[in-house]
Amino acid sequence: MDHDNMDQDNMGSDETRLNALFAAYRDACPDPEPSANFMPMLWQKIEAREQTSTVFGRLARNLVTAALALSVILGLAVSLSHSRASALPSESYVEVLAEDQNLDYFEPVHIEPAADQH
Amino acid sequence: MLVEFELIKRAQEGDGAAFNQLVLAYRKRILGTIARLIGHPEDVEDVGQEVFLRLYFSLDQLRSAEVFEPWLYRLTSNAAYDYLRKRRRRMESRMADLSEQQVVMADALASEKVDRDEGQRKRIREAVDSLLDGVSEEDRVLLTLKEVEGLSLKELGTIYHVKENALKVRLFRARRRVLKAFATARKRSVGVSGSRQ
Repeated sequence: MDHDNMDQDNMGSDETRLNALFAAYRDACPDPEPSANFMPMLWQKIEAREQTSTVFGRLARNLVTAALALSVILGLAVSLSHSRASALPSESYVEVLAEDQNLDYFEPVHIEPAADQH
Repeated sequence: MLVEFELIKRAQEGDGAAFNQLVLAYRKRILGTIARLIGHPEDVEDVGQEVFLRLYFSLDQLRSAEVFEPWLYRLTSNAAYDYLRKRRRRMESRMADLSEQQVVMADALASEKVDRDEGQRKRIREAVDSLLDGVSEEDRVLLTLKEVEGLSLKELGTIYHVKENALKVRLFRARRRVLKAFATARKRSVGVSGSRQ
């Protein structure tokens, strides 16, 4: 029981000390005076960021244009290849092969009766 | 509000002079908040410029001029959070690295036994920085806004768009973790100074 009370007392004193430390920390970090360079540097950074975003924007626009041009070219190429493909026979390889085969091959084989050996 | 709503609206419409006035009105307050959030004076201006840079490019997304200040605080805490994450990746410093000197200093400061010259201020910053390294960057920012900046739960709720109860639970856990680390460090420092005597 006494041990618990002692722990609570210690905890309480630590709480007070920690609060005092935070207060001391606040005093140790007063609001600093901004340097003379603060505003010029800020505007420099803003302009640099704006330029970067402009460059990226331009790059993105160029990429979109290039992608559009490429898709048009690819579309044309695909449609051309289709028109060329229509000039070719539409039958499949097996069908063409079958047509080429002479039906004679499949005629019934005429078997001569064997000569009388007697 | 440090400025008129009209000025914010003009800045939203792309008026550079209005934006300039807006920055001039808020920069000192924002730099102060950043200084306490990150604890590294040498990087405060850089992070501050990042905040206003983000403001410049996101001002058109602001719904109304009335919510400008919570919006600016949100941008500030996000920029501080990004800085802390990058820094942690670089440093990977841990709570265990809290030096004996820092602990003794933190303890002495808590008892208000020392004068606060710049060297000591630096050590306070280092001590608190090491303590807060024990929690996540999100909790660190939240805890600093609450405990050091003195923002209320309602204000924090408006900044983060989170319910007050959820914030309360999160803050309680973060504070308990820092308190535990503080108590451990203090015990260690008492042990060290006791063994010296």
